[in-house]
Amino acid sequence: MSLLQQITTLVNKDLTLEWRSKHAVNGILLYVVSTVFVCYQAFKTVDTLIWNALFWIILLFASINAISRSFVQESQYRQLYYYSIASPKSIILSKIIYNIILMTVLSVIAYVIYSLVFKNPVGDPLFYFIAVFLGAISFATVFTMVSGISAKTGNNSTMMAVLAFPIIIPLLIVLITLSQNALQGVDRVESYNEIGVLVAINVVTVAISLLLFPYLWRD
Amino acid sequence: MRKNWWKILAACLVSASVVAGFMGPVPKLFLLHETIRNVYFHVPMWFAMFTLYAISVVYSVKYLNGGNPKHDIIAVEAVNTGVIFCFLGLLTGMQWANITWGEAWPSDSKTNGSAIATLMYLAYLVLRNTLEEEQKRAKISAVYNIFAFPIMIVLMYILPKMTDSLHPGSGGNSTFGDLDMDNNMRPIFYSAVIGWILTGVWICTLRYRVALLERKANQID
Amino acid sequence: MKKISLLSIFTLITTLASYAQSSEIEMAEGLRSSGKIWVVVLVLLTIVVGVFVYLFTIDKKVTKLEKRNS
Repeated sequence: MSLLQQITTLVNKDLTLEWRSKHAVNGILLYVVSTVFVCYQAFKTVDTLIWNALFWIILLFASINAISRSFVQESQYRQLYYYSIASPKSIILSKIIYNIILMTVLSVIAYVIYSLVFKNPVGDPLFYFIAVFLGAISFATVFTMVSGISAKTGNNSTMMAVLAFPIIIPLLIVLITLSQNALQGVDRVESYNEIGVLVAINVVTVAISLLLFPYLWRD
Repeated sequence: MRKNWWKILAACLVSASVVAGFMGPVPKLFLLHETIRNVYFHVPMWFAMFTLYAISVVYSVKYLNGGNPKHDIIAVEAVNTGVIFCFLGLLTGMQWANITWGEAWPSDSKTNGSAIATLMYLAYLVLRNTLEEEQKRAKISAVYNIFAFPIMIVLMYILPKMTDSLHPGSGGNSTFGDLDMDNNMRPIFYSAVIGWILTGVWICTLRYRVALLERKANQID
Repeated sequence: MKKISLLSIFTLITTLASYAQSSEIEMAEGLRSSGKIWVVVLVLLTIVVGVFVYLFTIDKKVTKLEKRNS
């Protein structure tokens, strides 16, 4: 099988598994709804700065919960089987693509619920949506590799948080500036720098993941 | 007999930078006054830290390619030494900022960035502690080290350039080149940087040699 | 082109110099004039040299251990 075929098969497999159990989507949905509701009860109304920060924090924890499962949800033997039939590059790429799809769906759901419950004027809705989309992709690319590392350590969820937070903070800073610009309806040209940095980070992370993953799974 | 000339050079350069840093001529600058001399002592900490982290990444790559356990020891000892320099840089920066910028922790992108980078490397050390099997630990931590390094570069070089920062060389501020440093300061600054980098590397090699000895002692038992 | 750049640098320096003079930036001239600052430099130098001597002794010790072990 070629690399592309392997990737599509693996992504399809992951999507079917998810579709059957709806494990991630339901769990995250419940998580997002309850957090949004708690925040709404606590704050009632907030200014845009806090609104934005809260949204990203909710999304951050939702994505950590969703993605940390990506390597441990399947048993060791099944993973061994994948490794014997597919190349490590296609495995990591398929995981990244699957997580991107999952995160995009999750963040769209989270955004819709959040903005329904918590009303807040968004200056440039389309641009805010692009920021959310970029954020979902960045979370997916960074966390996939980190979850691969933390899956090897045993106590997965703690290590996931310890390893992922320092790495995601720079991305989060850029994302918050970008989405704040969108909220206030600043001219779009102002934010091209941030978008450039985000795209660059994503490209670099995917490239490094491709290079490093073969070393990670072989043991 | 090992060649020791660079260790003597490190000692001489650092000592010279202390004397010249106090007595050498400095430009009269608004706000900074005499504290501009801190450039000779605070900034070299960061240069030493970066050199050590870069060494660590290089040896992590070497480890993944060759599987030599000595390379892994070099990588971890470089990070250990780098973290010390990072803390020294943070502390001296806080003391300096307290006087010139009015608070010990101004919300400055470079300050926050270096604090987060410290967290990253502490996470690396925590990761090493949780893994017990030696080969697995070496491999996984090498992977994390290489993965985190480019993001740290983004954090400490690119982000401060984009946002406003109090530090020179970022935001709209001038770099070291134009305003802060005149030609009298330059040789002293560079000798301090080289001296501290060499000192950092020296401490790292010491730690590495001690670690090797420990390893040997443990193997015999 | 060179002339212009030289000229601009010159004007920049002169304006900076005049700025420096006009705002009367306080430097520690008094401390320096009495020459007592050398005492501080001497103390710091002693500490730095002491630390380096200490590093050298550790280095020697490690070398000795390495020789014994090999």
